[in-house]
This record gives sequence, structure tokens and C-alpha cells, in this order.
Amino acid sequence: MKDTPVDDDRYLWDRTGEPDPETARLEALLAPLRHRGVPPVLPARQVVDGRLTRWKLPALAAAAMIVLCAGAAWLLYPDRHSGWSVEGVSGTPLVVDRTSGGTRTRGAGVSVGEIARLGIGSALTTDGGSRARLAVGRIGSVEVDPNTHVLIEPAAVGQHRMSLQSGTIHARISAPPYIFFVNTPSAVAVDLGCEYTLQVDESGAGLIRVTLGWVAFEHDGRQSFIPAGAVGATRPGSGPGTPRYEDAPSGYGDALAVLDFSAAADLRRAAALDLILSTARRRDALTLWHLLRDGTPEDRARVYARLAALAPPPSGVTQEAILRGEPAALNQWWDSIGIGNRSWWRLWKKK
Amino acid sequence: MTITMFPAGQALEDARLVGEARRGDERAFARLYERYARIIHGVLLARAPGADVEDLVQDVFLSAWKRLDALRDPAAFGGWLAMIARHRAADFRRRAVESVELPADLRAPDRTASLSEAHAVLDVIRTLPEAYRETLVLRLVEGFTGPEIADRIGLTPASVRVNLHRGMKLLRDKLAR
Repeated sequence: MKDTPVDDDRYLWDRTGEPDPETARLEALLAPLRHRGVPPVLPARQVVDGRLTRWKLPALAAAAMIVLCAGAAWLLYPDRHSGWSVEGVSGTPLVVDRTSGGTRTRGAGVSVGEIARLGIGSALTTDGGSRARLAVGRIGSVEVDPNTHVLIEPAAVGQHRMSLQSGTIHARISAPPYIFFVNTPSAVAVDLGCEYTLQVDESGAGLIRVTLGWVAFEHDGRQSFIPAGAVGATRPGSGPGTPRYEDAPSGYGDALAVLDFSAAADLRRAAALDLILSTARRRDALTLWHLLRDGTPEDRARVYARLAALAPPPSGVTQEAILRGEPAALNQWWDSIGIGNRSWWRLWKKK
Repeated sequence: MTITMFPAGQALEDARLVGEARRGDERAFARLYERYARIIHGVLLARAPGADVEDLVQDVFLSAWKRLDALRDPAAFGGWLAMIARHRAADFRRRAVESVELPADLRAPDRTASLSEAHAVLDVIRTLPEAYRETLVLRLVEGFTGPEIADRIGLTPASVRVNLHRGMKLLRDKLAR
């Protein structure tokens, strides 16, 4: 007998196909041992004024970050602060504080250790010798590297939004998904929890590197979902590219740059796709799932075939539905691959 | 008692029910019990003597009710609950080893021949590697399909399918001896 699932395991797998006599015999024999108990009598839970009376923070810092990212603390203490603050870390970061109306501006340096409030529309600039730290309400912080220019943007109540015009920031956010946003010239980084580095160069091209949790890169309806250990690029005019793990096979970065940002007639596209597919590991299902949305029908069929070989689609998800781009089928396949459960993000996005 | 079969992909519903249960809604928790009681029974049955499993199922759900605040991702309730069950089974086994040895002449419970055979097969399943025995019990005893098992305990369908295939191969070999 082969050591990998084959078609004649269908009955064992989901009771389709011809019933296997041995499996059917064991099912009938063992069914009397099935659970037939009753629910326990539950003690009353302590709930006061609609909020829980006690909760515990895990000991590990990383676990605590994940708890906060899952929203428990945020639900207890909703962040209603619309203002930001900046602290000088080194050198003298410059703050341009625009009053309402935008006609009066004044620039002021922020000394090391000094903390200043930032209003909506304010700009923060660091030179080659300065660094700063932004406090984002009560949900986290953003480290601002040298030679970086950021703006504080208007946002809906309970949300926080900034722009990274150029340079590098490191965000560490403890909040549910869709609370913290960073605009770049080519895409919006949507925090799904919790830590990442985002760089934007002078042309407006961006690169995000996620170190904890997830980030979504969005532009004009196009989305990329980037987990910890992965990177994603974005370019003006194209929006977010295809994410890949940092330990992806050699050549993935260059190949994806061709597939994501070159013209449809670019002769390098065929070779780029060949490289991606021929060297893809099970882990690279992240990349292949995103590639299902792009390219010619033939390209997408090849991506489907390779992804199905690495991570078979769940029952009910057909090739036709995937190649038609049906969201329900794509979401089901994503959830079954085991990269991350998007239903949690969708829950928060609805809110 | 009516057992309700849920379609795959209920993580969103679980998150909602957990939220309501956290606020003290026992009916919401009862829905979670309906969805997961057989799963937890299967997880425990793969590890603990059959006579004790129903009590252990109650212990697991009581523990979960009291510890709902500690669940980081409400949508992952099933996987979290299965983890509690495995820990509970491990605790039970440790205490069972420390307990007093039963008299050798104690009469075995009165069983029909088929029920005796069922328990004998279950004993063989319990000798299999842990990943295989749990999946096989959920499939053959509790009656879940592979996709339902994956959906409820947080494994990928591919992992569950491989566990079922390999586990069944080993079980057949052992039963044939």
C-alpha cells in the first residue's frame, strides 16, 4: 500500500466513493462507543457592567503582544485618542505643526527625551543623524529611522493613520485588525497585528518586512497578505506585489518583481514563472495563492496545478471556481492551506 | 440528545458564540458544547479509559467555561479546546499511575461480544502514534469526516488525510496479526 493518500481513500477521507468494507465494518463496530453524554452544569460567570472583571497577561512579551493584537485589551479600553506624540530619540527630529486652515506653519526641533504632541496634518522629518519614536494613541509605537519623512493623517474615530513619504519606520501595534494604517505613495499598509518594518524610496516604491503577526498591503482593491517572516513590495502605478517568505528559494525576489511589475509582453515573464513554480515548497503556498489572481489564463492554470499539488484544495473548491476568481473558493482554499485564518480579519473588517 | 452536524468553516460563528459566552450567555456556550462535545470525547477516548471519558468531557468544558477570557483568538476555540482535552488526559494518566492497583479477581463489566470486540479494537488504536490515534477515533468512533476533523481541531486537511491514511494502514496491519 502507498504511503500517501490516493483516490481509493475517499471513503475513509469524506465518505465519498465506493465504501471500503474494512472502514465501514470498523465504523459500525465502534459507533456504540460514541459520545452520548450531557452538558455540564455551569457556574455563573462574573461579568460587571458588560466588561470582564479580570484577565491575565501571559508572561512572555511576544505572547502578550499577540493577546493585545487579538483585541482583548482594546475591547476593555477602547482607544479614543486622536492625537499622536513624538519623542526625540537621537539628534533633533523636526516637527512642522500645521494649524487648521493650513496657512500658518512652524517648525520646531524635538530634543532627545522631549515629548511633543502632533496634530492631524503635522509632519515629522528626521535627517541623517536623528531618530524619533511616535506613540500611536495607546495601541503602540512607530520608530522613525534617519532620513525619513512622515505625515499624520486624518482617520475615523478609533483608527490611526499616517503617511510614510520616504524613509523607514518600524511599527509595533497592539490592536485588532483595521485600526492602524500607513499610506505610502503606492499602497496602504493595513495592520492586522503586530510588528513590521516599512521602507519607501524616493520613487515611492515600498518594501514591507513583517516580524510578528500580519499586515495587509492594499491599493485600489488589490490586496496582499503578508505574515511574519515574509516580505512584500509595492510600486507606484502597480500597487502591492506578491508576498514571499524571506527564506524562499533563490531568485524568488527578482522573479516576483518581473511578474508583479513588468509589462504583460515582457519576455522575462515566462522564465520568471517557471522558476517560481519549479522551486516552490509547501511553505511557498503563500506566494502561489497570491499569484492565482494574475497573469494569463494559462499562467494561472499552471499556478493552480502547482499549488494543488503542494496543498490540495478542500472538498467543494473546484479549479473552475478558483480560475474564475470566486472569493469564497479562494478564501476556503486559503483557510485550508493553514497560513492564517482570514475569518478573524473579515470579522473585524465588517465592524 | 440531538447531535447537530455543523458545516465546515464555522470559525466566524465560534468567535461570535465565544464572545457571547464570555458575557455569561450559557445558551451560546451550549451551542459550542453541541459542536465540540463529540470532538472532545474522541480526543479523550484516544488517550483515556472509556469508562472515565464522559466525566473528563464534562471537566474539559467546565474548565473552558471558566477560562474563556484566556482564549486569545475566539475563532480558534476548537483547537484551544482540544489542547485543554489533551492536557486533561495527560493529567488523568499521571494520576491513574499513582492510584491503588485494583484486585486481580475483580470481575470485568458485563459486555456483549460486539462491544467487547469494539473495546479491543479501541485498545489497539490506542497503541498507535498519537497523531494517528486521535484522527482515527474521531473518524471511526465519533463519525466525523476528514474535512470536519480538520475544521474543528485546527489541523490542515492535508495533515488529517495523511494521518487517516497512515493510521488506518497501521491499524489494519495490527488487527491482521
